[in-house]
Amino acid sequence: MKLQQAHLLYRLISKNQRLAEKRHPMFDKNRVMKVFTYIMAAFWACYLIFFGCMFGSVLSDASVETCDIINSCFIFFMILDFFMRFAMQETPAHEVKPYKLMPVPVNFLMDVFLVRIGLKVYNLIWLFFFVPFGILSVALLPYFGIWAFVGYMLGVWLMFVLNSYGYLFWRTLINQHLLYIILPIAAYAALVVFGMITGSWLFDGSMRFMRGFIDWNPLSFLAVLAAIVAMFFINRWFQKHYIYRELSRVERVKKVKSTEMSYLNRFGVIGEYLKLEIKSVIRNNVIRKQYLIGLSCTVMLSLLCAFTPAYDSGFMHVFICVYCFAALGIIMLTNVMGVEGNYIDGLMSRKESVLALLKAKYYFHCVMMLVPALIMITPAVTGKFSVIELLGCLMFTPGCIFPFLFIMAIYNNTTLDLMSKMTQRSSNTKAQMLVSFASMFVPMGLMYALVSLLGNNMAGLVMLVLGIIGTVCNPLWLKLIYKHFMIHRYENMSSFRSTRAS
Amino acid sequence: MKTCQVSVQLEHLSKRFGETLALDIDNFNIHAGDVLGLVGNNGAGKTTLFRLMLDLLQPTTGSATFVADGVGYHTAKCEDWKAFTGAYIDSGFLIDYLTPDEYFSFIAKVNGLPADEVQSVLNRYTDFMSGEVVGQNKLIRNLSAGNKQKVGIVAALLHSPSLLILDEPFNFLDPSSQIAMKYMLEDYNRQTGATIIVSSHNLTHTLDICSRVALLEHGHIIKDYQKSDTDMIAEIENYFEGSVHHESVGTTE
Repeated sequence: MKLQQAHLLYRLISKNQRLAEKRHPMFDKNRVMKVFTYIMAAFWACYLIFFGCMFGSVLSDASVETCDIINSCFIFFMILDFFMRFAMQETPAHEVKPYKLMPVPVNFLMDVFLVRIGLKVYNLIWLFFFVPFGILSVALLPYFGIWAFVGYMLGVWLMFVLNSYGYLFWRTLINQHLLYIILPIAAYAALVVFGMITGSWLFDGSMRFMRGFIDWNPLSFLAVLAAIVAMFFINRWFQKHYIYRELSRVERVKKVKSTEMSYLNRFGVIGEYLKLEIKSVIRNNVIRKQYLIGLSCTVMLSLLCAFTPAYDSGFMHVFICVYCFAALGIIMLTNVMGVEGNYIDGLMSRKESVLALLKAKYYFHCVMMLVPALIMITPAVTGKFSVIELLGCLMFTPGCIFPFLFIMAIYNNTTLDLMSKMTQRSSNTKAQMLVSFASMFVPMGLMYALVSLLGNNMAGLVMLVLGIIGTVCNPLWLKLIYKHFMIHRYENMSSFRSTRAS
Repeated sequence: MKTCQVSVQLEHLSKRFGETLALDIDNFNIHAGDVLGLVGNNGAGKTTLFRLMLDLLQPTTGSATFVADGVGYHTAKCEDWKAFTGAYIDSGFLIDYLTPDEYFSFIAKVNGLPADEVQSVLNRYTDFMSGEVVGQNKLIRNLSAGNKQKVGIVAALLHSPSLLILDEPFNFLDPSSQIAMKYMLEDYNRQTGATIIVSSHNLTHTLDICSRVALLEHGHIIKDYQKSDTDMIAEIENYFEGSVHHESVGTTE
């Protein structure tokens, strides 16, 4: 392919990618979220700059060079960067697909996408930390100087480009099966553990390697460039292979046994919606993952609360106890109605079906509280929690926290792709964000006020009373939420339709 | 099958999407027991009309009222009409992580249909489902487009609605299933006296089963035919041939 043609195609594909992001159906409604994201990014950048300045000045008294201290720990930046990429970077497979039938060589297509991944602005984000740090610890020192600083920044950037290709490789594997996530975790963990246990070779090696950039040692640059080129070609082959597999994959249709769950029949129509809730968790990738994460959080928090001295006093004592009961609900209900967006027209064609659905969801999450309740019996018996405190926390969740979470049913209007392999990007509107924040922080604020004013036991009693009132009144507030849902129905249905995957 | 008599009244019903007028119907009545076919090219407003009638879309002006046994139900203001209405527009009606059997059972129960009646109702549509839907132990999302369509249509019929609304029901179906559905709808209308409204691009089937045909163009009902009109078929065919001719002339020019 001629260079001019390659350049033209590169520009064309880049333009298409920019347009794909800009013309995403969620772009308009996402404006507030975008602004919020920019603010958060600015905050994160300030945070990094602050730490860069702080480490650059605080560590300056040490006997070793300041930059060497940070450089020896560079592996931790790589690990953090790697896991942050799960929220930011995707594989190019779905972007390459539309070009597959066009007269463009696949290798060239792959090269374009891989080069674009390497040149992404995201790979520069850590420079918010390293630039101020480098100025203080390298550029301003006469024996290093500006030239050393430039080499250092270039080296740091190359390291994160290498990390992005490493991430791409693992992410492609993880897309094949979630269990592959164990491999990068194990690899990084092994590196850190063995690097520490078997002497300090990891830190020493990292320090010398990074110092190579400052000293413009060609070996350091050659090593990282060779690694980048190697990862580039590994990814090129791997992605090409992966795309062929994607395109030629014959969907294996699993036989599913129809299950009656007749024990739920006694609950009438609500029982039918309870069956839907259970089947949704069992049969949809995204919901199953949410559920497992929620359940793991619940069990971990409960075990932490029950069997360790952590959070033994004050507000955190009550706070963590309440969130043992509420964790699963918080994780699953902030997306309430997202699943139902897939069949919202069907739901809305039947009288009060959304009300029955909300009731079923409420009862489902109340029943799920049995898991932490069973674990928390032990600390109640051993006296770590008073019975009043525990009952207060138990009842506060369905009576005061769930009502706030269910309000999201009025404002959530983004359909969840049920079979998506990874968690979808958030696409909240202003109202959704406000309610989401309120649902998290209002109960927390109330608890804080109660604990501060009344102490743990009395606060537990008040929470118990409030919780019982809220729980007993669930038909009332659910009906109220349903009424408001119906007021917003046209807007929500329209948005659910436009965000549906197919 | 006990059904009531349902007629439909559309009054000053319009819908705008931004600057585009998608639908504008001044007054239009569909009588109880009618089998009305809506025909028109893409973008004529057929699906928009169905969504407005079913309160799935907010009208810019006007209203849709279903009159059942003399009682009027404004579809945007109450939900009682949902009990005697069955509809299938697209896969947004299907709960795709259920098997068809589970979905039918769910629909039957939320519509208050006794469990023992479900099987007898399903038996009526055995020919239409042609052994590819029930008892297959596949999730709806794993069915072919045609079988999904069958699940949606049978689910809409499950509680024997007095008003049946189907958008492009012949889509995705193989020829045998299309013919089976044609007979199924005719039988259903004859046995229950239900009002049926279908939209379709398949003129042959639509003209075969419908007692009345409304022709939509750019959101307006430009012609309302009774089956007794001798020139109905010729006029409709001429209309569509004319639009093709018009487009080709336009292209040539």
